[in-house]
Amino acid sequence: MQELRIRIGEINMIKKGICLVMSILLCAVVLVGCGSKTATSEASKTIVVTDQAGREVTIKSPVKRIVSGYYISTSACLALQLKDKIVGTEDRGKRPFYKLFDSNFNALPNVGSAKAFDLEGCTALKPDLVILPTKLKDSAESMSKLGIPVILVNPENKEKLIECLNLIAKATSTEKTAQKLITYYEDASAKMENLTKGLKGNEKPVVYMGGTDSYLTTAPANMYQATLISLAGGTNAADSLKGNSWTKVSYEQILAMNPDVIIIPSEANYTAKDVLGDPQLSKVTAVKNAAVYHMPSAFGAWDSPVPSCILGSKWLLSTLHKDLYSFDNMKADASEFYKQFYGITIDEKLITK
Amino acid sequence: MGFHMNSKENKKMKIAFILIAISIFVSFVISICVGKYPITLHDIKDLMLGNSINEMSRKVFFALRLPRVIMTLIAGFGLGLAGSVYQTIFRNPLASPDIIGVASGANLGAAVAIICLGNQINLVAGSAFIGGLMAVYAVTLLVHVTQNNSTATYVLAGIVISSLSQSIIMVLKFFADPESELAAIEFWSMGSFGSVTDTKLQVVLPIILLGIIVVILFRRQISLLALNEDESRMLGVRVTLIRIIVLSFTTLVVACIVSVTGLIAFIGLIAPHIGKLILQRQNFATCIFSAFVGSLIMILADCLARTLYSTELPISILTTFLGVPFLIYFMNHKKEERI
Repeated sequence: MQELRIRIGEINMIKKGICLVMSILLCAVVLVGCGSKTATSEASKTIVVTDQAGREVTIKSPVKRIVSGYYISTSACLALQLKDKIVGTEDRGKRPFYKLFDSNFNALPNVGSAKAFDLEGCTALKPDLVILPTKLKDSAESMSKLGIPVILVNPENKEKLIECLNLIAKATSTEKTAQKLITYYEDASAKMENLTKGLKGNEKPVVYMGGTDSYLTTAPANMYQATLISLAGGTNAADSLKGNSWTKVSYEQILAMNPDVIIIPSEANYTAKDVLGDPQLSKVTAVKNAAVYHMPSAFGAWDSPVPSCILGSKWLLSTLHKDLYSFDNMKADASEFYKQFYGITIDEKLITK
Repeated sequence: MGFHMNSKENKKMKIAFILIAISIFVSFVISICVGKYPITLHDIKDLMLGNSINEMSRKVFFALRLPRVIMTLIAGFGLGLAGSVYQTIFRNPLASPDIIGVASGANLGAAVAIICLGNQINLVAGSAFIGGLMAVYAVTLLVHVTQNNSTATYVLAGIVISSLSQSIIMVLKFFADPESELAAIEFWSMGSFGSVTDTKLQVVLPIILLGIIVVILFRRQISLLALNEDESRMLGVRVTLIRIIVLSFTTLVVACIVSVTGLIAFIGLIAPHIGKLILQRQNFATCIFSAFVGSLIMILADCLARTLYSTELPISILTTFLGVPFLIYFMNHKKEERI
């Protein structure tokens, strides 16, 4: 009897609890339902672009407030002289490149990263254009529903980078600046090809490009870094490996490749000292001749398709063939590049090898 | 005397339920005001009263803020309930969505979608959902094959399937692109409410509610399953069938939740224990109470996830850091009482 009473008491309580939850949820569902109605407003002047995910995006012109959620698009905006219009960026973390810009820029709020994009934080910045990487497509859809135009970019190689620059330029009406930058790439590439075309097979050093996380990973034939090596008049040591991202190799493989030069990419978390001091590699020609070079780390990932990637090719050319293109010329060219496109004066001492 | 004691206990339980309901309500209101987009309490009042406010604030509130808070509430409720029901029907204090295989199955599903299906959010969610369900069916199949229908077999089979999923995930991780795919798998397994929107909530909420309602409808059978297996059989419970039905619907709830949020650690294990320590009994009322505890911890954890750092923190970090002190406190508190 007593047990029965307790049970009835319990059941009543459970029922009350369930009623409470259900009523909260019901209110909530009704509220969410109300929120789905959308208001539309038409602007007089609009730009329509197709982004790198194939989405058609309508943007009100002129764009005055830009949020860029990806370091490559942020760099692209900076190169297109849109710095004063950027109101928020991705989590800038420790990227040294941004340190080259003024404190106003470095104080900009961040909207998270590709791992955790901050939808509300981005909306709070009231942007009239948001640029995100294609992997944040889901966030882009959510932002679009709020009426904020989002373009998705995917600069995974040089062609896509140029496409990305043109896309941002069209969206922000900075086509002329983009054209200048692209012409610079074309001219510089043509000049480099001209310089290296006379090189015979044995004059092209075998270059091993270490990965960012470990020098026991390297760039296989289909990776952007491999094209960088051939443009700079070298032969990629890992051309026989397939794939398009850093690929693991063993000490034995490196010894078999026996590279003449080892290149460490800008954002690597190891140094030339580590490579030179590794006893397993002591028999490699590059180590014997101390031909291990670290791309400068102060300017972003010169080895990957970023807007300043052309300087990576130039740096590598001057490193591999200083008789064709001196390191001093390279430094002067890099200085000029940053002045012309980013409007900043760089410290040439930061260009090291 | 006995009756007096019981009515006192009953009153205590009533107070516990009222207190937790109030705490949830308060944290719900706080949570709804917290966020990077400035929406004041005044704005929210205006919204409720139907007054006009800034168009963007209204959109953000209805498309992001409110769905997110509802999702935290319901996710906490669902995981707490599922964990508690698992512990009840398997009569094992370690049974939780993490142990029984749902979580790792969902994790495997998500990893497969991230690597093989191009990391599209809908596919990841769908694949995680299917992965979670498949893992639990694999567990029941394993139990069926061994022909040993005891509760320990379920838990052991869950551990086997979890470990198997984990090792397949390791294989996938090894071949994943470290920049994009590996990071995506890792981050998925830490969970986040950051990408919850009204559209996603509208898809999963009915399924989650369906699961919860079915579990509640089976409350009598769940309570009976907590008894000795032979006793429950004698009382007319078709043990295996009921176990599979209850397991299916709790799994449905968990898989639905994690398909949207990614894995959420610890709630499914800790909420039932806190619930049990407070109410000091294990029956269906405890399951519901544990679900409320889950909601409360989840709402608080998500408030912190949004405010502690300049970018959002993964929810699993906070659920664990919040849950552990709670559990330690109640473990100690009840120990003293017993002495």
